[in-house]
Amino acid sequence: MLTENAEIISNTKLKDEYYKVTFRASDIVSENILAGHFVHVKISGLEEKILRRPFSVFNVVKSDVLEIVYKVVGAGTKHFSSLEPGVKCNILGPLGNPYTYPVNSEIPVLVAGGYGSAAMYLIAKNSCNPGILLIGARNSKELILIEEYRQLGFKIKIATDDGSSGHKGLVTDLMEKYCKNQYKIYGCGPNPMMYTMVRMLNSRSVAGELSLDHAMCCGVGGCYTCVVKVKDGRGGWKYSRTCKEGPVFKSSEIYI
Amino acid sequence: MADFKTELGKVTLKNPVMTASGTFGYGYEYAELYPLDKLGAVVVKGISLDPVSGNPMPRHAEITSGVINAVGLQNPGVEEFINGEKYLPFLRKSNAAAVINIWGKTINEYVEVAEILNEQNGITALEINISCPNIKEGGIAFGTDLKMANKVVSEIRKVTTLPLVTKLSPNVTRIADFAKTVVDAGSDMISLINTLTGMVIDIETRKPVLANKIGGVSGPAVKPVAVKLVHEVYNAVDVPIIGMGGIQNGSDAIEFMLAGADAVAVGTAVFSDPYAPLKVIEEIGQYLDRHNIKSVKDIVGRLESV
Ligand SMILES: Cc1cc2nc3c(=O)[nH]c(=O)nc-3n(C[C@H](O)[C@H](O)[C@H](O)COP(=O)(O)OP(=O)(O)OC[C@H]3O[C@@H](n4cnc5c(N)ncnc54)[C@H](O)[C@@H]3O)c2cc1C
Ligand SMILES: Cc1cc2nc3c(=O)[nH]c(=O)nc-3n(C[C@H](O)[C@H](O)[C@H](O)COP(=O)(O)O)c2cc1C
Ligand code: FES
Repeated sequence: MLTENAEIISNTKLKDEYYKVTFRASDIVSENILAGHFVHVKISGLEEKILRRPFSVFNVVKSDVLEIVYKVVGAGTKHFSSLEPGVKCNILGPLGNPYTYPVNSEIPVLVAGGYGSAAMYLIAKNSCNPGILLIGARNSKELILIEEYRQLGFKIKIATDDGSSGHKGLVTDLMEKYCKNQYKIYGCGPNPMMYTMVRMLNSRSVAGELSLDHAMCCGVGGCYTCVVKVKDGRGGWKYSRTCKEGPVFKSSEIYI
Repeated sequence: MADFKTELGKVTLKNPVMTASGTFGYGYEYAELYPLDKLGAVVVKGISLDPVSGNPMPRHAEITSGVINAVGLQNPGVEEFINGEKYLPFLRKSNAAAVINIWGKTINEYVEVAEILNEQNGITALEINISCPNIKEGGIAFGTDLKMANKVVSEIRKVTTLPLVTKLSPNVTRIADFAKTVVDAGSDMISLINTLTGMVIDIETRKPVLANKIGGVSGPAVKPVAVKLVHEVYNAVDVPIIGMGGIQNGSDAIEFMLAGADAVAVGTAVFSDPYAPLKVIEEIGQYLDRHNIKSVKDIVGRLESV
């Protein structure tokens, strides 16, 4: 974990409301970034917004390039999308508890909603076996990074709310047949989707690793504003910090 | 280079900049970024007698130039705090001056925590957070009732020889009266301000944003309020003062010191820059050098009249 004033190399629209920003960040990249790690970004030029914004690392390239894929949802990300190459942002990271990579015998099944396909890309890139991406969105315009996964040999299964692409319905509808031992299930997406996954996985006693998303202040475990209920091992629950014990939790640990 | 040594009664700190309770965890969270003994002191998140799970989510919201929070004092309880490897034992090893913020739901709980901590090595001072509701007295905050504020401090005074800092609530009409009564009760120092109570509403759902409905406001937005309250307390009592509320840089800290603070704490600013406390120390030094002031204590209370 460290901070770095990282220069934007490019910041371009990917699709719809999604953007990809590329930073030159050699110090952070030297920190052994794993899939599921996130960085806490001080979006430059928004002085009255005092909090950093958390983003998963989408990709690292060579020894000094860090990429994030983000969706414009509010004032911070809107301003982020207007920043030009050359602008520097202070980045804190890498932060959080990452995913564990699949072992040789496991086929990864990545269940993605929203920015989930960005947050899990490093799993695909580092997997010994090509796996399966189950990706859901409201409509086909919001499906991102499918080509990138295809290039890694991943099979793609799509679900959209409006049926404009693939299965009409929820991405978790596609999950059932992968709830088996030879697969390793990973998830990242909106919290309601993550909790549907927790219910499905836990009721079938299948393991999974899910990245949860909560608004954060410090990002390093110091303020307890980002907590989520996890099992306390005695039939009850306790609050854990999304930024420190998470964002990636075992599905069997998450308390509903 | 100017002299940073800061004397707060019996307590001597290497510099006047500490962290603010609740924003810097227990120290270990930030120790990966820099050695904690660079700070004047580490002030830990509030410790209570029993473990506390805190409020439901959401616990915070960003506001213009600040945040509002209702974390609900989540903490592992005093036993885990003194024994758990990452808590007090870690702070001892770090060589940082450790100020332990304590709170309770009853006077007895405050007293028991203070008694237990009194037996421990490596504690520089106790900071009493009196901005918590007294469940035995209908939930009125200790810190907004003069008699209860006096009582809780005087009862703690009886069980500990550790230096006591009482942290005042800004949510009162005349803060000077609270400063006087806690000093009468045996407080060695005063810190202020705790957060200002507030509320944020989501106009689409028409619901309060925080699960707790109300919360405490902190950050740059509260700074002028805090500076004024520090100055009022400075004029009312003769004990060392630790000023806080929205400090982001050296200039902010100097304002508090001119208003009467002997030391300062940096809270919400660590959310945007975890190095903020170190930056504040450095920038205080630049100010002192620029004004040819030899020691940091020479600016305390040196406000000129208009
Ligand atoms: C571990 C983690 C990884 C993330 N990775 C990505 C990613 O790779 N790509 C991506 O597009 N988004 C990601 N997010 C969500 C992203 O942080 C928010 O979309 C962003 O903070 C919104 O900022 P804003 O100023 O535009 O929104 P506003 O609504 O204006 O923000 C107001 C406040 O709420 C917080 N906030 C609002 N929505 C969210 C949210 N969904 N999650 C967390 N905080 C929120 C903001 O940080 C800010 O403090 C991630 C969140 C977490 C916790
Ligand atoms: C998230 C958060 C948690 C806090 N928790 C505590 C606490 O446990 N005990 C306490 O005395 N003050 C607590 N405070 C108050 C701060 O210590 C400080 O008094 C206040 O935030 C003003 O300073 P600042 O503007 O620099 O943050 C908390 C503040 C924040 C933002
Ligand atoms: S954001 Fe501060 S503890 Fe997680």
